[in-house]
Amino acid sequence: MTPWGEVALTHRRGSFQLRASFSFDREIGVLFGPSGAGKSSLLRLLAGLERPEEGRFCLGDRVLVDCARRIFTPPHRRRVGMVFQHLALFPHRTVEENVAYGVRDQDPLQARETARQWLRRVHLEGFEGRYPSQLSGGQSQRVALARSLAASPELLLLDEPFSALDGPLRRSLRRELRRLHEETKIPVIYVTHAIEDACALGHRVFFLQDGACTGSVKVEHLWNGSAQGEVFEALRWGNLLSGEFVLRDHKRFFSWDGGMLEVALPAEGCPGPGRVFIAPHDVKVLYEGVVVDEDLRANVVCGIVGENLTLGSLCRLSVETSSGVWQVEYPSGAYDTMDLKEGCAVRLAIRPGSVVPLGDGRKERER
Amino acid sequence: MDEALRLSLEVLAVDVPLMILLGVPLGWLLARKAFPGRKVLELFVLIPVVLPPSVLGLYLLLALGQLPGVRAWRLLFSFPALILGALIPALPLVVQGARAGFSSVSRDLEDAARTLGDSEWRVFFRITLPLARRSLGAGLALGTARALGEFGVSLMIAGNIPGVTQTLPLYIYSRAEALDFAAAHGAALLLAAVGVATLIFVRHLEEGRHDPVG
Repeated sequence: MTPWGEVALTHRRGSFQLRASFSFDREIGVLFGPSGAGKSSLLRLLAGLERPEEGRFCLGDRVLVDCARRIFTPPHRRRVGMVFQHLALFPHRTVEENVAYGVRDQDPLQARETARQWLRRVHLEGFEGRYPSQLSGGQSQRVALARSLAASPELLLLDEPFSALDGPLRRSLRRELRRLHEETKIPVIYVTHAIEDACALGHRVFFLQDGACTGSVKVEHLWNGSAQGEVFEALRWGNLLSGEFVLRDHKRFFSWDGGMLEVALPAEGCPGPGRVFIAPHDVKVLYEGVVVDEDLRANVVCGIVGENLTLGSLCRLSVETSSGVWQVEYPSGAYDTMDLKEGCAVRLAIRPGSVVPLGDGRKERER
Repeated sequence: MDEALRLSLEVLAVDVPLMILLGVPLGWLLARKAFPGRKVLELFVLIPVVLPPSVLGLYLLLALGQLPGVRAWRLLFSFPALILGALIPALPLVVQGARAGFSSVSRDLEDAARTLGDSEWRVFFRITLPLARRSLGAGLALGTARALGEFGVSLMIAGNIPGVTQTLPLYIYSRAEALDFAAAHGAALLLAAVGVATLIFVRHLEEGRHDPVG
């Protein structure tokens, strides 16, 4: 069976080059990569909001882009929907008008009825007449989702729309998105830099690193022994620890050869062997002699700075510890007063809520 | 005074559509597009704001006098000259308003409309224009008030011919010069009222900008 979509695109912007080559089916694909890897640029290429330098993009039986044959389908004819990071709800239109905006081939009355149906599907009946400024964060997300789905796209792109929301709301929206996908079978590409989104949402994970798509793996295989090494080798990003979950004083801990970490999130198979993932931007550097909140005092790891790399607005630190090298990321200028040169001793802190339990080679998925 | 008022209104009837036709696209161009010569255009548009009207009028008079046809068709010291004289100092206000309005519209909103099936024209008329309309309206109101009150440039290129090029501001000047203060007062009161009304209208537009309705 040929895949539903095939992408092979090259794009250049200044000195940054994006090379993406992958295919996808009618599933939820998660595009995972650190900040600045080019995730948003890739989505804009797929939506037609930017022109690629060269390449091809086919969706279903349509060729949307073929630079060799000078084919470039403008965004309004692509039927590729997009939920923007900041949602981009139209402030001068009501919720109902927003959702009806992209409904095709219907007269205005029918379009309104279709919009109301979509609002029911995302549990927003009664909000038809409100304006976007009168909605909460979660409600806005649902409107944005309904609006793009009401236009019956053949591919739906989501650019980290849930990143601004907190845990429970985020989980419920992920569930909602999975349900809507199962009902509509519209293929989805979801961009995120949070590994738990990738695990909870996707069927397949695509990795994007420094402008290159380095491969994809089915979510089921993400954490099993064989794929895991490969995936992190491909990504070269993040801190993955192998060890054991233990319960002590009704709290969850993760024990590995570098010590103990407190874990706030529920862990499958606890107590027992498992893995945890800690994103580099969730590792904080502690100031010497400064009192910090309780949350940060729980998990502290000591080490020596091995390398300090500034990548534009981002600093990447490699810290050597007794149990291996840790990756730390923070916005440039954040720790300027500490002068984190190579060879400096540092103390790293990880909030218990940032330690993501991954289970042991099994699919971690919420229901 | 009736004749001067009629003439002033005729000038507005021609100049307001012209200001929309020229000012809105110019404002959009300056807000949205990068092109060579953009900085020069930006400065050029603002020149009428900083030059004294008499200087502007003098240069226009000299420049127009060089153009073929202008003399033959008696375009100076006539209604067309009046149109131009009122348009030039008013246009920058419209351009600035349009530019501020278009700049304030997030590109994401336009992109969202594109992915929802809107062609470029539909994006403009359904998203960009409605969201920029307050700033646009304020610019247009200020421009209209400026055109109505035009004095210096008109005097230089259109003269002060009663019944032909004597608009309300010029009428006030002539009446005052003839020591007919009663007539001057009548016209001055009318213009002052229009000016204050414009200000109130513009304030209203600007304050409403933070409505949920946008």
